[in-house]
Amino acid sequence: MKRSVYNGLALLSLAAMLALTACGSGGANNGESTAPNNSGNGDSKAPVKLKIMWQGADIRHQAMLKTQEVYTKENPSVTFSPEYMAWDDYWKKLPTLAASHSLPDVLHMDGAYIQEYATRGTLEDLSDIDLSSVIDEKTLENLKIGGKLYGIPISRNAQGMAFNKEALEAAGIELPKKDWTWDEYFDFARNARAKLPDGVYPISDTDTWDFYQYYQMSYGKGRIIQEDGKKFNLDKDLFMKFYGIHAEFRDKKIVPPADMVSAFKENDPQADPMASGKVMTRGATVGSVGALEQLMPGKIDVVNLPVGPEGGGWAQPTIFLSVSTDAKHKDAAKAFIKWFVTDKAAGETYGTNFGIPIYDEIYTALEPTLAPKEKLGKKLYDTAIDKAMPFSPAAAGWTEWVDNYKKTMDSVMFGQKSIEDAYNEISKSGNAIAEKQSAK
Amino acid sequence: MKAEAMNKPAAATKLHLTKKLKGTSHNNLAGYIFISPWLIGFLLLTAWPIIQSFYLSFTEYSLLEAPTWTGTDNYANIFTNDNDFKTSLKVTFIFVLFSVPLKLFFSLMVAMMLNKNVKGMNLYRTAIYFPSLIGGSIAVAALWRNMFNLNGYFNHVLSWFGIQGVGWITNPHTSLGTLILLNTWQFGSTMVIFLAGLKQIPGELYESASVDGASKLRKFFHITLPMLSPVMFFNLVLGIIGSFQMFTSAFIVTQGGPINSTYMYALFLYEKAFKHYQMGYASALAWILLVIVALMTAINFLVSRYWVFYETDGGKQK
Amino acid sequence: MNKALKNHKVTSHLLLIVFSLLMLYPVIWWVGASLKTTAEMSLPSIWPSTPMWENYTKGWQFSPEFTFGRFFGNTLLMEFWNVLGAVLTSALVAYGFARLNFKFRGALFSILLLTMMLPGQVTIVPQYILYNKLQLMDSYIPLVLPHFFGGGAFFIFLLVQFIRGIPRELDEAAKIDGASVYGIFYRIVLPLIKPALVTVAIFTFIWSWDDFFAQMLYLNSVGKFTVGLALRMYVDQFEIQWGRLLAMSLLSVMPSVVLFFFAQKQFVEGIATTGLKG
Repeated sequence: MKRSVYNGLALLSLAAMLALTACGSGGANNGESTAPNNSGNGDSKAPVKLKIMWQGADIRHQAMLKTQEVYTKENPSVTFSPEYMAWDDYWKKLPTLAASHSLPDVLHMDGAYIQEYATRGTLEDLSDIDLSSVIDEKTLENLKIGGKLYGIPISRNAQGMAFNKEALEAAGIELPKKDWTWDEYFDFARNARAKLPDGVYPISDTDTWDFYQYYQMSYGKGRIIQEDGKKFNLDKDLFMKFYGIHAEFRDKKIVPPADMVSAFKENDPQADPMASGKVMTRGATVGSVGALEQLMPGKIDVVNLPVGPEGGGWAQPTIFLSVSTDAKHKDAAKAFIKWFVTDKAAGETYGTNFGIPIYDEIYTALEPTLAPKEKLGKKLYDTAIDKAMPFSPAAAGWTEWVDNYKKTMDSVMFGQKSIEDAYNEISKSGNAIAEKQSAK
Repeated sequence: MKAEAMNKPAAATKLHLTKKLKGTSHNNLAGYIFISPWLIGFLLLTAWPIIQSFYLSFTEYSLLEAPTWTGTDNYANIFTNDNDFKTSLKVTFIFVLFSVPLKLFFSLMVAMMLNKNVKGMNLYRTAIYFPSLIGGSIAVAALWRNMFNLNGYFNHVLSWFGIQGVGWITNPHTSLGTLILLNTWQFGSTMVIFLAGLKQIPGELYESASVDGASKLRKFFHITLPMLSPVMFFNLVLGIIGSFQMFTSAFIVTQGGPINSTYMYALFLYEKAFKHYQMGYASALAWILLVIVALMTAINFLVSRYWVFYETDGGKQK
Repeated sequence: MNKALKNHKVTSHLLLIVFSLLMLYPVIWWVGASLKTTAEMSLPSIWPSTPMWENYTKGWQFSPEFTFGRFFGNTLLMEFWNVLGAVLTSALVAYGFARLNFKFRGALFSILLLTMMLPGQVTIVPQYILYNKLQLMDSYIPLVLPHFFGGGAFFIFLLVQFIRGIPRELDEAAKIDGASVYGIFYRIVLPLIKPALVTVAIFTFIWSWDDFFAQMLYLNSVGKFTVGLALRMYVDQFEIQWGRLLAMSLLSVMPSVVLFFFAQKQFVEGIATTGLKG
């Protein structure tokens, strides 16, 4: 009698599990089902379902979905199985997919990550796609990794600086000018200090490797990480000089104190250095300046990074579409990407959702309808391109070194370490990694 | 039915059935049937990933490529070459040392406060439990930073008393403290478990103690604490296991900074796995943590016989 | 005497109110911030100049295809199964460990505890590969299934502790009456651990609501997203839609709050009013 009660419980659990299996694959409500890909050949006539993944905000998602609809209309045999999510989650899910060999056919790639993904063999070589109508040879050459093209660029990006035009004018400070030199940058800071109230600073302190790299490269001493990660090059004189100036600025209160700097969070309405009114300038890219403009509508303007004899900053595409080596429909995927970048109908559908379209004609067509934040991005690009130097991201396997660089320089900022000790530590670990990678 | 009448716990304390009733009979079949859900799940779904992670700890694995065997290199590097390992272990130990006792203390005190039939108690309990519900959302991060920043609310309150506050979250000396505080503020779950445990204490025990003229304090130490000890033990063991693996608050609020002052072990591990493309190394770190936590738990269990009182063992009656 | 009691009551209430406010202050900030524009968030005020109710309405809209109603529906249905599975199976497993003597019991229990001590970050990928091989992608099964296998070591251990607090004499008395092991479970143990079971239900609900990493890995189509996943879509690479994010996160917490509010009767109903006062 009691046993039957227990059995009842067991049966209930089993029934629940069965019911679950039934509705599990169908989703909680009538969710979309992903039909398995059955055609394995590249013949465009046979029906193909491309698995495509990207990240971004909702507007981009809607634009992307519409673009896919346009493509399917023109190519009825190709449909899509889309997946999209937020930036953060995207870069956590991709490695997991890579580990289970289920990366999608077409995926969204970014300059910050493509080195790792390409050199570890997860992306297809796309050098054979003909893009001559839209992108010049030189840009494509710059994007090659190990002589191969692993991602097709879909937008233009550049690194420059934004500044609080309104506040600077109100304080009677001369605004930064295009192609200003590093000396002019530091002088700007020194002179502006007197004219700004306490607690407000002309420039911020710096602890990231890339900002220093702009300095080193602009003075002709080259990239820090060279030969795809096999060579390490950190110029001691420039390093000591650069951070020496910032140390002097810390003492003279020309840059904010260390704990204020570590509280900064870019684009956060309360913690952004500029939006919170604490700092007058900060680095910005074409992609990020729009967000800043939204926080401080009408108050900011842009300029390029300070230049040295060799130039300053960079201007290069950083958003790509790639094809994974797991892809089941590689030819169809490549065809789609080519259409995405070169076709006018495509460009009109997704507009500036990925940034400034790489196809100039599409951009000029869209120009009249652009919002102020998008125009500001274009202005930044135009300002930066003349003196731009090559984009020099960290090579594969160097992310840890990048993180440690920041932590070491933070110690210097907080007064816990000398600049020389920091240099020695950073060089030691950098050389160790370079050695390890050359041995491979 | 007779069984119903037996449900009164009061009956139990009055029954003095002898020790021969301690369960010594073997119920192999029944035992396995009862634990079969867990056992099946473990064998099917949990065991293999665990074994796999152990194997991976001996490899170099970027996730993007297949793992390559490197033997004990990971472990060797962790113990000889890695400053971050030492730092994060230290940070985590400090965190555990402070948050576990604090949380236990507050949870118990508040549980007792809430274990009364005062009007509106439902509302109070919900209000006090609320912080634990907001978990690891971005809202919590924004909120905590807002409270403890240089211009935050906490400093605002301090200024009423004429005290000048610092940037609690952004100062390497105090940032861990804010995380400990955040963890303690979210004591709700521990408190709820204490509440459930308090409910199980038979009211008659307190009644008879009152009749004997016992004071409130005496009742607490001689009835409440002993009767709660299994639950207290649970909260202690799980508190330790949980705080060693604390990840969310460090990840969302401080990202391990400034200068590694809040670089919790689980965050360190996570970054190695998903940010630095070193899943093999991270797996080694995970197994090292398991050994540490297992040791501490084993010690807990060994010591528990001296202070945890289970009625089932026919233990000391008041 | 009466006056002293009254004063005592008043001070208890006062204490409770103050304490509750302390716990709730951040929530007040939260509500205010959820009604601000992004630009206004940089200001130190708690309340916005004009409340942006559209943070709630537009936030709920989410996208042309789905509203948050869809995501709440998804999540609540998933939670139903999670709670059911956890409550049913955790009691069974806990009883086995706590009351029954079987071969290897100690070893198995130790393994149970050990599974809690390995940080999840390193098993998540092998687990994903496993589920991938089983073709269980883009479904709720990987999320719900673990709850039917005991509900998790935490709850099993919790119930073990509660069951060990039940005097064995009760079992023995029932045995004398002819009850089998199953009968003891159903008639003696189960009713006595009700508060703990409610705890299991509440915590399963609350903790699996927030488990975004697993949800992110196993749910591919946006139509299947849970509330937690949908919320993360408001956080972009450069821009966070704070108003909508805060508004919807506040709503997202509500089911747990409501559940807790109504379930707590199970903890404290029937407390002897004589026992703990005075």
